[in-house]
Amino acid sequence: MGEPLLTTEKLSNHFGMVCTARDLDLSFEQGVLTSIIGPNGAGKSTLINLLTGHLPVQAGKIRFQGREITRLPIHKRVRLGICRSFQVVNVFPELTVAQNVMIPVLARTGRAWNPIRSLSRETAVTRETEVFLEKVGLQGERDTPATALSHGDLRLLEVGVALAAAPTLLFLDEPTAGMNPVERVRLLDNIRELACEGRTTFVVVEHDMDVVFSLSGRIIVLHRGEVLCDGTPAQVRADAKVREVYLGDDVSDLFRYEEE
Amino acid sequence: MKAEARNAAAAVVLLALCAVPFLAGKFTVYLAMRIMLLGIFAVGYNLLLGQTGLLSFGHGAFYAAGAYGLGFFGLHVSGNPLFGVAAGVAAAILLAILVGYLCVRHTEIYFAMLTLAFGMMVFSLIWNAREITGGDDGLIGIMRSPVSFFGLLEIPIGTDRQFYFFILFFFALSVWAVHRIRQSPFGLALAGIRENARRSEFAGVPVRRYRLAVFVLSGAFAGLAGSLEALLESNARPFMAHWTHSAEPVLVSLLGGLSSLTGPLVGSAIFIAMREIIQRFTENWMLWFGIVLLVIILGFRGGVVGTLSAFFRKAAAPGEG
Repeated sequence: MGEPLLTTEKLSNHFGMVCTARDLDLSFEQGVLTSIIGPNGAGKSTLINLLTGHLPVQAGKIRFQGREITRLPIHKRVRLGICRSFQVVNVFPELTVAQNVMIPVLARTGRAWNPIRSLSRETAVTRETEVFLEKVGLQGERDTPATALSHGDLRLLEVGVALAAAPTLLFLDEPTAGMNPVERVRLLDNIRELACEGRTTFVVVEHDMDVVFSLSGRIIVLHRGEVLCDGTPAQVRADAKVREVYLGDDVSDLFRYEEE
Repeated sequence: MKAEARNAAAAVVLLALCAVPFLAGKFTVYLAMRIMLLGIFAVGYNLLLGQTGLLSFGHGAFYAAGAYGLGFFGLHVSGNPLFGVAAGVAAAILLAILVGYLCVRHTEIYFAMLTLAFGMMVFSLIWNAREITGGDDGLIGIMRSPVSFFGLLEIPIGTDRQFYFFILFFFALSVWAVHRIRQSPFGLALAGIRENARRSEFAGVPVRRYRLAVFVLSGAFAGLAGSLEALLESNARPFMAHWTHSAEPVLVSLLGGLSSLTGPLVGSAIFIAMREIIQRFTENWMLWFGIVLLVIILGFRGGVVGTLSAFFRKAAAPGEG
């Protein structure tokens, strides 16, 4: 195996007295679809926030492809190839679906500074935007303002905007939250397919255990800011500590309950 | 609106504006010039407010920088109004880079208050540096020399009718430029920042740099309007930098509508016309203007243009709503 994509070194974060990340030493390999699970408050979102630059790092180091990025601003990390989607839909509400996806495409290709050229002439950008719309299945909603989309479509758009940044490493924070089963299957198929293409390595935070165990090559279980277990789905399923934390074996039900 | 219909409408308006000095009286021509000046100021300003979602209360400072920049250039370097306007715009850009650099790291109320503070600092600087700026008397004696292209061709702009076309040229240029910016990739990135600044960063957009760019750009339009006003009125006054003047593009953008190109332009026309009419009856024109603004903000959120276009869209698509 080559060098890992992203590594952390003693990464820590506290909110007052609450510790949400304690001396985390993690590494993410290229091409391994990783899930991060754990009870509420385990530090899943905090970890993503730290790695993507959403939260300033209090202690520790982050390296991406050998380069230290601990203090790099968000947009520079995105340019390097680290992107994310959000747990709560976080798109550009008054813009159309196509415009939503076009912004990261423009930024990535360095065309977003052009103040004179008409957007309608950016045919390469438009074509690329279409490709991403197709990937998430929203080509029919091209000209719909994001506010007018259904919840499921909004979630797809959320992922679409993240994908359009063409990241090497993409963090999806509960991508299927609040989706109906049909939409959920569609999105998961998409993720699986994109993961197989191999250009993007996915790291997913999920509550649905069926999803986690069917999708992942590796699972990281977080608990109170520490890694409780880290391994293949089979290893995690057999782990005694994981069972202990979740009080018994009906793991998936408990997770659903905590998702509220 | 379809592109052809829009271009046709723009051509009709441009022709009508060209006809004004031949058909209307002196005072109407003067009012039309004031409307175009405020229009340049507001349409540029609305790139910041309507397009990017940043509320500045300090753009009067850049307007004044344009006026004083042209004034000093005219008094000390060259009387050519084209170079003068360029000098005024350059002065506004320099000031906007300085002020913008310090302001764009903040947003919303902090941004608005910082721009207000910087604007008032510029105002008191002009007010107090009497030896240089003329203090409260303003900078007087600005001349309208002919526009000269290296001595080859001279176009006089001395009379109001001649100068009207000088302003119309820059007005048309400004509206066209802002239209292009709004349709451009840069314009879309700005709209993205307005809609969701955090997500824009995660789309790879360096948000702060874009904010600075549009701040300076809108400052340049303010400087252009200011330098033209200095030529029109033959002086530059400290109150150009006052916050009450900085508020004018905010008011006309709200009046006309924030989300369109034409909103601030229509707002400018209504603002100047209303001020003229109300002032004939009462000194307290702001009181009556305030009432009108209140009605528009409470009742017609999209401003005049927004409300009208929503009305026509509904009329064009019957059966809905």
